[in-house]
Amino acid sequence: MLRIVSILFFLICSLGVDRIEGSAPKGGEADAIVGKANLAAYYAGTDGRARVRMTITDAQGRERVRQFTILRRDINDGGDQEYLLHFSRPADLRGTVFLVNKHVARDDDRWLYLPGLDLVKRIAAGDKRTSFVGSDFFYEDVSGRGVEEDHHELIETSSEYYVVKNTPIDPGTVEFSSWTAWIDKQSYLPRKMEYLDNTGKVYRRIEALEVRNVGAYPTVSKMKVSDLRSGTYTVSEFRKIEYDLNFPADVFSERSLRNPPRQWLRGR
Amino acid sequence: MLIPSGRSWSALMYVLCFLSSIALTSAQDDWDDDWDDEELPSLTMHGFAEAALGLRSVEDPVQPDDVLLSEVRFRLELAQSIDEADLRLKADFNADEVGDHVDIDIRQALITLRAASWLDIRAGRQILTWGTGDLLFLNDLFPKDFVSFFIGRADEYLKAPSNALKLSLFSDALNADIVVTPVFTPDRAISGARLSFFSPMLPGRLGRVNMPQPLEARLPTRSFGNAELALRLFRRLGGVELAAYLYRGFSKQPLAFDSRDSIQSYAALNVYGASLRGSLFGGIASLEGAYYDSRRDKRGTDPNLPNSQMRLLAGHERSLAAQLNLGLQYYLEWTQDHDALLANSAFAEFEPEEFRHLLTSRLQWRTMQETLTLSLFAFVTIGERDFHLRPSLTRSWSDALTFALGANLMWGDDHRFFGQLADNSNVYLRLRYAY
Repeated sequence: MLRIVSILFFLICSLGVDRIEGSAPKGGEADAIVGKANLAAYYAGTDGRARVRMTITDAQGRERVRQFTILRRDINDGGDQEYLLHFSRPADLRGTVFLVNKHVARDDDRWLYLPGLDLVKRIAAGDKRTSFVGSDFFYEDVSGRGVEEDHHELIETSSEYYVVKNTPIDPGTVEFSSWTAWIDKQSYLPRKMEYLDNTGKVYRRIEALEVRNVGAYPTVSKMKVSDLRSGTYTVSEFRKIEYDLNFPADVFSERSLRNPPRQWLRGR
Repeated sequence: MLIPSGRSWSALMYVLCFLSSIALTSAQDDWDDDWDDEELPSLTMHGFAEAALGLRSVEDPVQPDDVLLSEVRFRLELAQSIDEADLRLKADFNADEVGDHVDIDIRQALITLRAASWLDIRAGRQILTWGTGDLLFLNDLFPKDFVSFFIGRADEYLKAPSNALKLSLFSDALNADIVVTPVFTPDRAISGARLSFFSPMLPGRLGRVNMPQPLEARLPTRSFGNAELALRLFRRLGGVELAAYLYRGFSKQPLAFDSRDSIQSYAALNVYGASLRGSLFGGIASLEGAYYDSRRDKRGTDPNLPNSQMRLLAGHERSLAAQLNLGLQYYLEWTQDHDALLANSAFAEFEPEEFRHLLTSRLQWRTMQETLTLSLFAFVTIGERDFHLRPSLTRSWSDALTFALGANLMWGDDHRFFGQLADNSNVYLRLRYAY
């Protein structure tokens, strides 16, 4: 199962995994797969850290870079989580800190610290499916889409993948009509996700380009999001991935927004 | 006239050459560089070079110059962290053609220390901000730079630095920030030098044409008792952020008048306030209140001192569609003892209304992978019919090169808050290269 990384990045979450205590209808095979994938992949370990580089490519092929360290901690397995992102590039984001309290039962709480103004800004939950710092990733891709927000349906089982179709319970809150995930039968890592518009056409794709074993955990270490309408894409690479670091709870507090926890960001 | 002087153009050309030379020589981000070591404790150097040009959009009869902003700014940022200490220097070298000088503005020179599991110390020159308002500050009595705000400098220049000591104390039940500014630091206020303003004594607007020298104000004497103290107690309750504030110091604008020496000064002031912020209706709602206690004019009868005020703010921000955000705020300034103010004032007709109702809106659209941002911020004073519009367009060509085009448009009667600035309306352009 992947950790942090994947974790972080939507994948999994979006994966449409059903949580054990989730309120979505139970019993279906798809729910079971999604639940298993969620527990194995998304919540494996208690916490983790990675260096992340996002390379954003526009329709003309020009590249921009976003670079940050991400820390993640699970409050409880399959439940709430906390994330802290500390940006080092580009210049206008350097020192910016993004803090997420991800909740299963209600909207996530999210804060952004802007060092130039010493300003702690709170980000509305309604911004979930908007660009994360100019990339093709969405905020929701970073901190996860609640599995209870979609219906899950197993539409195909191949030798390698479970193919799960996910339909939003409240279509008014999202820009897709459904999305499909290809979940690896061995690792339960989602290897590909495709988002469909109202006409059934794929307009957005997320792919796991590289999976690496980090200790005992298979981890997505390179992934790509493509916006097929605009022709733009973003590739995220993860390095220095570590799990089970035992972060103290206060690493994920307002204190860390204004004074980033260098000891934990840096590692040993 | 709307044509910049020859000097502005030469300055701009100089900057463009400078920027392109950096662009050509700077190392490109390499796939093979050690980007995964960026958190390591080494000395880092960054910054930017920026050229800015702002022109008046209307003629101001009391200002001789049509150019409001013409400067080349070079920012140097040095950072070094050693164990739990973080050292930071942020200095601006600014060649300012309008002010006709080159200055060095140290924006940050500080050490941040994680001194204990429950204590952070931040000492030195620093930018400080708290409170829930968007471009409105009730319990944030840290210095602002309103000249920069109205002439088109980048947003971060609205906040001016303080030489201060900040202690942050943390516990499970309650957190506290204690900020001591030993020497009172006022706002960088509008003085007539660059932006003209209304004086009730004239009555009329004052600028360089009809002022022998810019407005000066007398600072409080430097003493232990005149140090500024700002306190914030805060905690989170579920998803709601609660805070209480206390300030003891002086009005940040020269609102008092010393009739003996005939000079403006800063009125003794205490502020008590509270705020909360949380999720509501799919957006972020905030509520903040502050009581401005004019310590030396409790009954509002002294015409040379500002009256006490109650200030209230309610705000809500949400997204209307993907990448399109709308923030709305209602702000109230309730001047206490308003009858006493009018009865004692020599300029009763120009005194503010008892209730000043202000609405603001921020509409922001980010597109093209956030390389293009269109924003419109509006302040409208209800009943006084004056307003301030801040349209802007920001375009990033790359991570390094950004261009901003915008305007500061003010309108209203001469003696109103924004109205007095009407003839300072301007259009500006900035080009920044970050390294």
